[in-house]
Amino acid sequence: MSEQVNEQSLNDSFWYADWSFPIFVALLSAGIFAGTHMYYVYHIGAFNDVAIVAMLEAGIQGAGYGAAAAFGASFLFARILEGSLVGILDIGGSLQTGLGIGVPALLLGAGITAPVESFTLSLITGGLLGVLIGYAIIGIRKFTVGKSNSTFGADIMMGAGNASGRFLGPLIVISAASASIPIGIGSIAGAAIFYAWKKPVAGGAILGAMLFGAFFPVSLE
Amino acid sequence: MEFFAIVFKSMIIGAAVGFGVGAGAARMFHAPKVQGMGAFRTLGELNACAGDAASHFSFGLGFFFNAWASSVGAGAFTQDVDHRIIPNWAAAVLMRKGKRPEDTLHHPKKMAIAGAIIGVLVVTFLNSTASAIPESLQATAIKVLVPAANLLINPVMPVIFWLAALDAGKRSGVWGTIFGGAAHLIMGNAVPGVVLGILIGKGVDDSGWSKVTKTMLTAVILLFVLSAFFRGFDIELIRGFHMDAPEWLIDLHKMIGLEVE
Repeated sequence: MSEQVNEQSLNDSFWYADWSFPIFVALLSAGIFAGTHMYYVYHIGAFNDVAIVAMLEAGIQGAGYGAAAAFGASFLFARILEGSLVGILDIGGSLQTGLGIGVPALLLGAGITAPVESFTLSLITGGLLGVLIGYAIIGIRKFTVGKSNSTFGADIMMGAGNASGRFLGPLIVISAASASIPIGIGSIAGAAIFYAWKKPVAGGAILGAMLFGAFFPVSLE
Repeated sequence: MEFFAIVFKSMIIGAAVGFGVGAGAARMFHAPKVQGMGAFRTLGELNACAGDAASHFSFGLGFFFNAWASSVGAGAFTQDVDHRIIPNWAAAVLMRKGKRPEDTLHHPKKMAIAGAIIGVLVVTFLNSTASAIPESLQATAIKVLVPAANLLINPVMPVIFWLAALDAGKRSGVWGTIFGGAAHLIMGNAVPGVVLGILIGKGVDDSGWSKVTKTMLTAVILLFVLSAFFRGFDIELIRGFHMDAPEWLIDLHKMIGLEVE
């Protein structure tokens, strides 16, 4: 495509223009925020990793929304800056974690439950915030583009993010082994098989634990 | 009834998310001229599949099973639904007849439409199967996943990010340590502080104390001061050193609506 389209027509076309960017962000944000609504109401469908959803869950269970709110909000802040400087907005940090976990945690922590409890309101809230984020990025971009050539350590953070993801597999086996002996054995077998198949160890550990948990259930006391 | 509500909502969510992800992913190929959204690793992985529909499909499939397990177990899709499954499957659908990536994967309109269709299918499938699993399985999942996740959040992630900051040079190390420590004191988790420390350290390494980096440092400090205030950390700080908090400060907290005992 890029070879046929010159720079002038790039900014005229809806699909490539700066002004249409907030619309795409708004749609994605509305969906992600509504995903958090699904998690809040039905306990399914949050657009994030188990480790991060667990922070929101801790808040829902009454342990305080502080960690989720601070974690999410600062990711959102950092990724908006980075996204406008490098030209690629990282949706994992900005929208999935920042908007999908951080903002709901802020709202719920302040006692405002309506935008998360109602499906329609969650779509509207997510969409409006998405438009704001989109315009913020385009705005910073206009203001700083060409003035800075730094990636602000994005590669380092991504490296650390991926490294922490690797910890999850062994950690799941450890906590499965602490839950009960059958679940532990299932988890060990699943992790070993997945590793041998060159699949993510965490996935095997979860499936193994759940398979054995189906036959030898534990209670949630 | 609840099942149909879940299916209905999932279809709307999937369409919205898939449309945005598809268009954002295609726009990434034109960055930095065009503002894209996705992730650097998504861009790299899409390129790694080298325009082969089967590679795109099987790459997405590997993560799909992981996302399925996580959805069924803990109600969490994993970030891979947006990062990997939707973009790669949308690309696979568009390229199925051996079309070139330049005409498909790099084209926001085609990717947005394909993404929306894939999004509806994936989100509806994950949510409807996850809502159908028995309670005993969910109990196992919670018993296993929540403790593991808690360990990951604290102390594993803070330590990994912190060490990465220390390895990234003197500035990142110093700022990461200061903000990371402060973040744990104020917010209860060091990761956001360390991330902001790296951001500032590397920003100054690459472009010096420019207007951008100075504004960033000010904004970060402001963020810390405000969150300290709103969590009542200032009062605890004063009392922690065995001093009495001044009346006006407590009054200020009351005025904002936060009661300090």
